[in-house]
Amino acid sequence: MGDREQKTGDFDQAEDGEQHPVDRRTVKVARIIGFSVVLLISIVPLILFTIGWAVGGIPGPVYLAILGIWLLLLASSLLLAYRWPAARHRHLRYLVEEDGLCIRRGVFWRTVIWIPITRVQHTDVSQGPVQRKFGLGTLTVHTAGTAGASIALVGLEHGIASRLSDHLRPARATDAN
Amino acid sequence: MQTEARRLHRWSWPFIAADTIRALILPIVGAVFASGGVLLSRLDLLSVLFVVPACVYAFIRQRVYNYRFTENELVVRDGLLTRNVRHVSYERIHNVALVRNPIHRMLGVATARVETAAGGKPEALLRVISLEAAEELRRYTLGEERTAASTDSAETTGEATPTLQVPDRELVRLGLISNRGFLVVAAVLGAASQGQWWDQDWFTEQDWPGIFANVQARTPGWASWLFDSQTGVSKVFLGLGVLLLLLVVIRVFSMAWYLVRYRGFTLHQQGEDLRADYGLWPAVSSVIPAHRIQLVTISASLLHRWFRRASIDVETAGATDSDSGLGAASGTASTRQWLAPIIEIERAHELVRKMLPEVDLDGLEWKPIEARAARRIVNRIAIAVTPITLAIAALFALAPIPVSGWHALWLPPVVLTTAWMAARQWVRRTGYSLSECAIYFRSGWIGRQVTAVRFVNIQTVSMNQSPFDHRKRMASVAVDTAGAGSTGHRIQIPFLNVEVAEDILSRLYEETRRTEFRW
Repeated sequence: MGDREQKTGDFDQAEDGEQHPVDRRTVKVARIIGFSVVLLISIVPLILFTIGWAVGGIPGPVYLAILGIWLLLLASSLLLAYRWPAARHRHLRYLVEEDGLCIRRGVFWRTVIWIPITRVQHTDVSQGPVQRKFGLGTLTVHTAGTAGASIALVGLEHGIASRLSDHLRPARATDAN
Repeated sequence: MQTEARRLHRWSWPFIAADTIRALILPIVGAVFASGGVLLSRLDLLSVLFVVPACVYAFIRQRVYNYRFTENELVVRDGLLTRNVRHVSYERIHNVALVRNPIHRMLGVATARVETAAGGKPEALLRVISLEAAEELRRYTLGEERTAASTDSAETTGEATPTLQVPDRELVRLGLISNRGFLVVAAVLGAASQGQWWDQDWFTEQDWPGIFANVQARTPGWASWLFDSQTGVSKVFLGLGVLLLLLVVIRVFSMAWYLVRYRGFTLHQQGEDLRADYGLWPAVSSVIPAHRIQLVTISASLLHRWFRRASIDVETAGATDSDSGLGAASGTASTRQWLAPIIEIERAHELVRKMLPEVDLDGLEWKPIEARAARRIVNRIAIAVTPITLAIAALFALAPIPVSGWHALWLPPVVLTTAWMAARQWVRRTGYSLSECAIYFRSGWIGRQVTAVRFVNIQTVSMNQSPFDHRKRMASVAVDTAGAGSTGHRIQIPFLNVEVAEDILSRLYEETRRTEFRW
């Protein structure tokens, strides 16, 4: 079972009314993005404090203490950036059936949301730069609702995302006029 | 089919100019300040600088502005330097509101706001047009009688008996119920403290101790303890008196506010839609498209119920312009508005039924939420009460007052017993019901609200579980609708057993999936 869940590359499987996890590689994508963000944000105060120490504004021991705290914060942030995507992935399932999509997610606060195709206004498939490297994409379903005006499913294999997008797009005649 | 271009009324420019000046008021104030107040004494200069250009601008704007009706669009041309042509499809228009203040009425004109759900700004602002033009605008855009020979029927609908009429005494009652006047009082006090309108010298120059002694001397013996400064009772009474006075003033302002804003509130059936006319200043005439009502709420506060009254409000929504570009959010703007500011409880259900035939609030079979929810509510309050108790204990112990810190321990039992009672009442009166075509949710104990949403209007359904819910095997079910505002009662059923929540969720999904959503 665990084996089958890993590879959801087959569309027939994705639309079968069963619960599926999104592509496992999305964990890697999220980690890469998370690490980059953590490093980028943490580097700025380090540079500022180092300059402060270099010009003599901050005494040596204080600088060392700051450095220690900084390292501690950095380590915990990196740990979080490493662990969180996996937890999120573990708790994310989607289900596609004939006329609707169901998304089940949330590590602590859990949500199950059902979107009937009859309520889909339009769908987007987008791909971030890191996602593109791994061939992943994000499916966004737009409804006329408010809280659920746009519901994103991150980390689908790009091919699946586009096919789901086609499947979910309402087959109604143009309602623009 | 295309009509000729319609122009604005010839007395449009003063209104446009007035709005322009209103928009310029900040720069004007800035200029006055910058000049060190010199400009204030030079009204001629001010008018040359601002009023004359505004009028010229308004006049040109009036000349270039025109609109026409095509088969299915309203086409508005506007713009001084950059010509702007806007096509608004009738489909998307969900309200044509007419605003008329006394000046409008003197000239027999109205400002028409053509509203779609896209954003808060009106799609087109016809400032100003004659009443006949406004009627024509409504006829075309709201589509009821687009075909020829519609004048007769238009007149008959105008004379039809109103669906609802709110007489003045009801508005007075509403003022009594509402706290709206608090805002007025606050505004007046704020303005007064800013402008120092009252004479502070007068206040300080009064011989307050003398007045006090005078009153004290005239008080009969049995009431003398009122003014006994030793006991402090007088202070308490004085405080209570001031509070009472404030309450009365707030109520009076509330009544006045409602009488001005909602005077003569009437609902007329107009084709499929409803038309609400109300207000002295400004006089508002607004169409509520019945088929675009997404949600209806009946609310009754404690005071409402004492008078056997309730209020009804509805949320309407229209389509946003999804053609306006890629990535445009498909969400909608909300308009929650009053269907009835005040109405007899017995008639409220009837009115809702009349508007939405599928929604029948009588004879519903209400299902309760979990009784054990009360315990969770009390637990929450207990968690909040603990630090407060400790803080008060510390305050009592440290402050130079002859009260022991131990007295703070009275707080938890009192608060928790009350909370327990209130929570049990709340849980008992909170529940949901599913009918053939709609879902209903009611909540509240002292102030009660019932909300109904037709399955056709449901967008998505969701079930949510907090970590606490998860531990207690509970969940909540929520329904998303178009144009849901951030405030107001909505379908959000808390404290359900997980299995029950899953049942409701699948039932709602089944019902929603089967129906087609129409704007």
